[in-house]
Amino acid sequence: MSGEVRVYGGWRDDLGLRVIPSKRIGKDVYEVFIGPQHPGSGHMRIIIRVDGDVIVEADPDIGYVHRTMEKLGEIRGWIKPIPLFERMAIHDACNITLPYVRAVEKLMGVEAPLRAKYLRVLLCEINRIASHLYGFAIFSIFLGHSTMYMWAMGDREVFIQLAEELTGARLTHSYPIPGGVRRDIPQGFPDMARRAVRYMRKRLEEYRKMFLENPVIRSRLEGVGVIPKNLAAELGLVGPNARGSGIAYDVRIIEPYEVYDELDFEVPVYTEGDALARTYVRVEEIAQSLRIIEQVVDWLEKKPREPIVDESIYKKYPPLHKKILESQGRAKLLPWMATMKVPAGAAIGRGETGRGEIIYYVESDGGVNPYRVRIVTPSARNVIAFKYALPGHRVMDLPAIYGSLDYFPPEADR
Amino acid sequence: MAVHEALAAIIGWPPIWQVLIIGFIGSLVVSIFAVWFERKAAARVQRRLGPYWASPRLGGLLHLIADLARYAFQYPIIPRRVDVVPFLAAPIAGLIIALLPLAVIPFTSNPSYWPLPPAAMEYSLLIALAIATLPPIFIIAAGWASNNPFAVIGGVREAFIIVAYELIAILGFLGAAAAVGSFNLVEIVAAQEGFKWLILLNPIAFLAVFIAIVMSTSAFPFEIPESEAEVVAGPFTEYSGILYALNMGGAYMRRFVLAILTVLAFLGGWQPLTPGEGLLWGYILPSIVVVAKAVVIVLAISFLRAVYGRYRLDQALDMAWKILLPLALAGIALGLIEASIGVV
Repeated sequence: MSGEVRVYGGWRDDLGLRVIPSKRIGKDVYEVFIGPQHPGSGHMRIIIRVDGDVIVEADPDIGYVHRTMEKLGEIRGWIKPIPLFERMAIHDACNITLPYVRAVEKLMGVEAPLRAKYLRVLLCEINRIASHLYGFAIFSIFLGHSTMYMWAMGDREVFIQLAEELTGARLTHSYPIPGGVRRDIPQGFPDMARRAVRYMRKRLEEYRKMFLENPVIRSRLEGVGVIPKNLAAELGLVGPNARGSGIAYDVRIIEPYEVYDELDFEVPVYTEGDALARTYVRVEEIAQSLRIIEQVVDWLEKKPREPIVDESIYKKYPPLHKKILESQGRAKLLPWMATMKVPAGAAIGRGETGRGEIIYYVESDGGVNPYRVRIVTPSARNVIAFKYALPGHRVMDLPAIYGSLDYFPPEADR
Repeated sequence: MAVHEALAAIIGWPPIWQVLIIGFIGSLVVSIFAVWFERKAAARVQRRLGPYWASPRLGGLLHLIADLARYAFQYPIIPRRVDVVPFLAAPIAGLIIALLPLAVIPFTSNPSYWPLPPAAMEYSLLIALAIATLPPIFIIAAGWASNNPFAVIGGVREAFIIVAYELIAILGFLGAAAAVGSFNLVEIVAAQEGFKWLILLNPIAFLAVFIAIVMSTSAFPFEIPESEAEVVAGPFTEYSGILYALNMGGAYMRRFVLAILTVLAFLGGWQPLTPGEGLLWGYILPSIVVVAKAVVIVLAISFLRAVYGRYRLDQALDMAWKILLPLALAGIALGLIEASIGVV
């Protein structure tokens, strides 16, 4: 934050964003540093200036968990970035790596078979639910509602176990690989998934009673942190935050990838733009993801099993690997993939993670490493909302707004 | 008079006795039990075990003893930039003053065990309330002395909350006094003979008092001064070790003392027991009944944690001034009406 661009009464920054009017800063303004060592900040710092109890300025100060994801992505081949990029949001691992995998697939000229696409969607939706529940838990403990925190964290376990059953790992699944996925569903998985779906539907009803319709929680959220539709568009918000402000933008609908165009689901949109609307968007999305899981599981159960990797890769499999794939449904990564060369070119991968749209720009110069991997994560795009949603609110609204934006620092800092 | 006799006489003097035994020891036990219950009940609602492994047969009760031992032996850090004397004095003074109302509260109708002479007992409710409103000042002092933005903000929040709940608590108790027509706690209890408890006759005043207690001891949904998500630990941010334990325990002890006052004013005090002669029937059993009822109130307040989040400061103040204050006034009016038609 340089001294020149900040003007009293708002900001005018290099991008030409409009000046947001806020109160003139008097000499009684108190500067409070929320974070990075603060129970309510996460791995970031929010510098707020308060006039009495009212925030007049807020500056999100990010970068505390910057891990050079983009640079590391350029030095370790084409496969190893997959487990690396998962670390940006480990509870959303499949969603966050899938666009990268798809970009690499475009460069390689391979495509996942239909069954693998369904499997990817299955894990994506399991991850989306787990990610929303995680955000929900953090949100409720910010509001002091410990019961909802424990419930959401506990119910997230159901979906983590579902993912473990499917992939063998609780969190960092490294499930999609260029040309397919690593495992087919195990025996008994469809029933387990249906049980989880039934359970979660019941629980959503209980969440509604305990949390969403709790008078204390409602009074904390209604009309708080309002981001109007045009401001949300101007700031470039994505994901549930944009949809809470009335922008019907979801990559799964705008530019369907994998098999999302074959599935029947809705994207909930609320027009209020306040913290409660954003919360409701997430809850409704969990319900929609449950619908998708049901459909995908039905499809996977009905259709006969087929190789879950692309034809061109499957042809190169040695007999042992083919046997494992057919008998156990496990696609082994072939040794040549670790040092494979990808044809020169550039590709873009887009996907909808739990927190919004993620974009990968992957460029290849024909070598064994990506020439450039540019990552734009949803949290990196949403963080600007702090600056505009917080001023005018009380200090006690900060956790409500922070939690409702579902900002995740490791994902934003990359 | 030998020294030990003099000591026995001092400790045996009801005000000292009550502050030391029911106050320090009783409220310590009650606080430990309340914290344990708070964690255990919340765990039940949240579908987990809660404290368990330290003593599976006791349901993990020893966890709290272990916590206390840890606090007691932890190195208390005193930051260089604090104002040392108030920083150290505030939690200690706050705790002692929180327990002082017990020096005027009667636990029996037997005059030989009253803490005050009968003439002064006439005003026991007023004196107890006057002392009970003092401790928050030391919380503000603790925040101020800490010289930390979070502590200062927490202290200011505490000040706002005091302004809101103090009046409600006093007016609520006046509702009971108005119904009986006396500030004498013994007479207030005596008027509730035969299950004519004031909680049944004047539930409005009781509700106001109950919420005022919840607010005053920063229990959920009014855990605002120590709200972790914004102000870390509020006024106690810079405290560690035994000083932090004193601060946090102080809230529970205040809750306990105010609950005892509520029991006397609304829940029939030592009834259905009729205190008789002798130490056992005249003092120990009635006080056990009073403390047991108070524990129920403390536990009920503890349970709120499992249900509610926390209100925003301005919403809490709104609620206090717009809803609870008229409620407390209505309680007084109801008390006066009941007194005039002779229900009580």
